[in-house]
Amino acid sequence: MSERRSGGPIYLDNAATTPIDPAVAAAICRCLSDERVPGNPASIHVLGRASRELVERARRQLGDLLHVDPRTLVFTSGATESDNLAIVGAARLRSHRGRHLVTMPTEHKAVTDTFAALERQGFGVTWLEPDRDGILPIADLEAAIRDDTQLVSIMHVNNETGVMQDIQEIGECCRRSDVLFHCDAAQSVGKLPVDLSALPVDLMSLTAHKIYGPQGIGALYLADRPSCRIQPLLHGGGQERRLRPGTLAVHQILGFGEAAVIASERRSEDFRHLERLHDRLWNGIRNVEGIRRNGSANASFPGILNVSVDGIEGESLMLALEALGPEPICVASGSACNSQSGEPSYVLRALGLDDRLAQSAIRFSFGRFTRESDVDAAISAYTNAVRHLRKIMPMKAA
Amino acid sequence: MASDPYNSAVRQRFANPLHAGDLQAGYPDVVTARARDSDAGVALTLAAELDGTVIRRLRYRVFGCPHLVAAAEEICGRFEGKTAADLQQFPLTPLMELLDVPVEKTGRLLLLEDAVQSLARDILAREPS
Repeated sequence: MSERRSGGPIYLDNAATTPIDPAVAAAICRCLSDERVPGNPASIHVLGRASRELVERARRQLGDLLHVDPRTLVFTSGATESDNLAIVGAARLRSHRGRHLVTMPTEHKAVTDTFAALERQGFGVTWLEPDRDGILPIADLEAAIRDDTQLVSIMHVNNETGVMQDIQEIGECCRRSDVLFHCDAAQSVGKLPVDLSALPVDLMSLTAHKIYGPQGIGALYLADRPSCRIQPLLHGGGQERRLRPGTLAVHQILGFGEAAVIASERRSEDFRHLERLHDRLWNGIRNVEGIRRNGSANASFPGILNVSVDGIEGESLMLALEALGPEPICVASGSACNSQSGEPSYVLRALGLDDRLAQSAIRFSFGRFTRESDVDAAISAYTNAVRHLRKIMPMKAA
Repeated sequence: MASDPYNSAVRQRFANPLHAGDLQAGYPDVVTARARDSDAGVALTLAAELDGTVIRRLRYRVFGCPHLVAAAEEICGRFEGKTAADLQQFPLTPLMELLDVPVEKTGRLLLLEDAVQSLARDILAREPS
């Protein structure tokens, strides 16, 4: 485990991206500097075939992590592209059967914005509300599925709250109705057990940079069933079963494979580490006046802890966490993924939080390289930041 | 690295809110002004303790972003020891320049200006002509 340099920022934003594992970085560097593998993996000469072998090895490594035939995996640029490819590709291919789709407003923007775009193109979308804990009531899903429903898209672990959906139950519900089930698993694969040989999931979006791999590479899983065909979004080559044309990024794919191997080997150990960090942080801040945790306490991934505090403005809280302690604390705000808009999180609002509480939310997210001393620094910084802002802010907010 | 949204003037005042707090409302020498914009999630209170026509102490409470906190801190520091007439002449533009307030936050600073003007009017209304 690498050591963080003393005095540097404390990184608790692993749900946004994880630092690359040194072993993965070393493998990528070796690939980039190896003059034997400059070939385009689509080329049939010896150097092209060498590159192709690296790609296929990575595909096998990823397949091993997910317990699937590697031929069911299509490399993409990341989970956002995978989401778009799965949702639009499936909706368009099946549109002659029906144009009704189902999802939740608490999905990642890569999903909600894609569904919104399909709505503008004439598809009907049912947006299922979560309960107060962020969980999808399965009875609501059953009631929403109609004869013309073609696709359900529900994420596994929510990127803001860490809330886990029961994708086994959701998938079974979809199978009973012959509806495709797409799952954005960017936050869960490599961290939770995901056995696609047993799970009733038809399409799953993955990304490397949440499992200590490189940014800019992801994959889409398509179950080996005739009904799981999709239309490509891009045209121009025969790569990736014609579903995702374009020259493959060999070094990134190789890094994704290496990250998958490490994730597979370390998953249980990593998970216990995350549980310890999560509990340490929550126990350290749970007595802060006005604090509440957002999302289910019982069905959440321990790598994420999302908290709000009454009477404290979110942007000021972020600056206080960055500027008032000895080391900046890098976390995400309640406008996570909307941090440039400053709008309160739509995910937290869907959980019933008012704008003020949603805007005060902070997402702490831990990773393999997070140390207990990092969490202790965050506890100190958070309690001091709230204390500092209580001197400035009225208890009765706007 | 992306540009820092807060300049040193904002950071210094945000970290050292010397004038944050309350003055005892209801005392005859204390005047209070409030402003809020619920849509923007912003609220502020200014309280002045008077010594004749002079503002002896000026305090604020702000529910808002660091720019608004820093602006309130600057106003309170600048106008202690001054009069309500001085307060009425408070220039917003130089303050926004000092704090490098982004254009999308202009409305929040206008809210502060409203509170300052309201406070000055209330103080002047109390002063014998």
